[in-house]
Amino acid sequence: MSLQVKAREPLKAVEKTETVRRGRSLAVRRTRAGYVMSAPALLFLGATMLFPLAYNFWTSVHDVAIGDLLTGDWQFSGADNYDSVASEGAFWHAVRVSLVFTAGSLFFQFTIGFALALLFVKTFPLAGLFRSLMLVAWLLPPIVSGTLFRWMLDADAGAYNELLRLVGLDSLAHNWLTDPSTALPGVIAANIWVGVPFNMLLLLVGLQSIDPTLYEAAEIDGAGPWQRLRHITVPMMKPVAAAVLLLGLIYTFKVFDLVFVLTGGGPVDSTRVLPLYVYEIAFKLFQLGRGAAAGTLLLVIPLIVAIVYVRRLRKEGAT
Amino acid sequence: MTRTKRPWLLTLVAGVITAFFLLPLYWMIATSLKKPDQVLVSPPQWIPSPFTGDSYSRALDKPMLGQALLNSVAISLGVVALTLLLAVPLTYAVARIRMRGSGAMVLSLLVAQLLPSIVLAAPLFIVLRQVELTNTLIGLVIADTTLTLPFAVIVLRPLVRAMPVEVVEAALVDGCGLPGVLWRVVLPVMRPGLIAIGGFSFLLGWGEFVFGITLNSDPKVQPVTVLLNTFVGQTGTDWGPLMAVATLVSIPVVCVFAMLQRYIVGGLTAGSVKS
Repeated sequence: MSLQVKAREPLKAVEKTETVRRGRSLAVRRTRAGYVMSAPALLFLGATMLFPLAYNFWTSVHDVAIGDLLTGDWQFSGADNYDSVASEGAFWHAVRVSLVFTAGSLFFQFTIGFALALLFVKTFPLAGLFRSLMLVAWLLPPIVSGTLFRWMLDADAGAYNELLRLVGLDSLAHNWLTDPSTALPGVIAANIWVGVPFNMLLLLVGLQSIDPTLYEAAEIDGAGPWQRLRHITVPMMKPVAAAVLLLGLIYTFKVFDLVFVLTGGGPVDSTRVLPLYVYEIAFKLFQLGRGAAAGTLLLVIPLIVAIVYVRRLRKEGAT
Repeated sequence: MTRTKRPWLLTLVAGVITAFFLLPLYWMIATSLKKPDQVLVSPPQWIPSPFTGDSYSRALDKPMLGQALLNSVAISLGVVALTLLLAVPLTYAVARIRMRGSGAMVLSLLVAQLLPSIVLAAPLFIVLRQVELTNTLIGLVIADTTLTLPFAVIVLRPLVRAMPVEVVEAALVDGCGLPGVLWRVVLPVMRPGLIAIGGFSFLLGWGEFVFGITLNSDPKVQPVTVLLNTFVGQTGTDWGPLMAVATLVSIPVVCVFAMLQRYIVGGLTAGSVKS
């Protein structure tokens, strides 16, 4: 690079204005190239994301049933669909189920993931192999994980019930997913299983980035393992932990397939999370206007999270 | 980190935890290899004896399974191709070219990842029906790519940004046009990211379900995840063949992960924690 610049030096006087002009037109041309390069992806996302979102909103303020879809005869109905959804007990029930599902999943995914990260940050034989094996659980299609847990939690032949019997807790063994009082914990357990490896992986990366000399210094100063965890690891991990929890919140709140295959929302609505509720209105009852309104309401929580997330990124100057 | 005393003790602890954690996977494979009359016995057999491929042959007898597996392969490969095709130029533009609105673009891509696919499903159905792409594999490729594309740009962007300006400038000065620069200079730099995104897109296309069930009602073009779900719903679930199908669906996941592990883990952590 620098060699080329030197070779051009004799022509400096003539070249100067020339390069300025060329530089500017180059910049313009490059900006244009930038738009050209962005266009395909932006048009694509415009058609498959922005337009559907706008369309969803449009639908939500109209009275649309499946028949009206074909005739195009839509009645503007203002906030009626929102009123109708929000006045439905089933909606608020789904909100509660979603909150419990999300909070329960997040808490255990994070604590178990953190404990495992603390274990796997140490160097010991086969650590890499075990870690990779666990990650497979997270990459499996959610439908497969759901199917597996249906089988694991089955009444008679389920492996978990058999384990309970082996350790003498026979009284706890039963068909988790068909009992309304244990179905939600069962679904949460499956989702914890899915999420633990991801939490472990990200927290592990965070742990590995902590400067080891901090620990050495603390050890020399006589800090025990517990003190080192409390005064070095925990404070240093706060930013990573916040990112992991935020991502976990977003991913968990929109979980559909896992619950769908495990229980389909039953028994008696005990596991009907918000995405399942939206699905049933739109694709089972074909009340498209109400479904769209419920869908828009489903966006509220991710949107709040997004605002927090974007603000945080802005503050860090990452974007 | 600090020195580890007694590393083998840690190996033992980690091994026990991993084994317990992977029990569902073991149970899936073990069940798939049992004889039909051994599947539901109580107490269950922890190790299938004798091993038999009976469940597999019964699973493969099911109509549509072969077709559904092929559909999923086609969809996944399509998602990989379309994602890379759209993501690479956009990434370069937002990472390297000064233009108005690129900051907003990156922010919207971050936010796009938060959308629940069920909210997109109904309007996407209507959009795709307009262009007669419902009940086609292409329609599903398009729908799935909405999920991979924003993530791809977010993972790839730091790689392009980390590339020294001089390299691109030099190539441009040398008379290499922008397409040439992209092909010869930028793409090689993106390689690890492209492999990560390729692997990730494949896995996402392979495991996607919401669009599969909402956009394609014709079983001939449904992915294997939807077929798996219909097997589960049947009364008196036939667990042997079902676990055989689940195992078959898991095999590509394990293969792709084993091959691309380094890239996928690196790409995912980079894209998730820091952007």
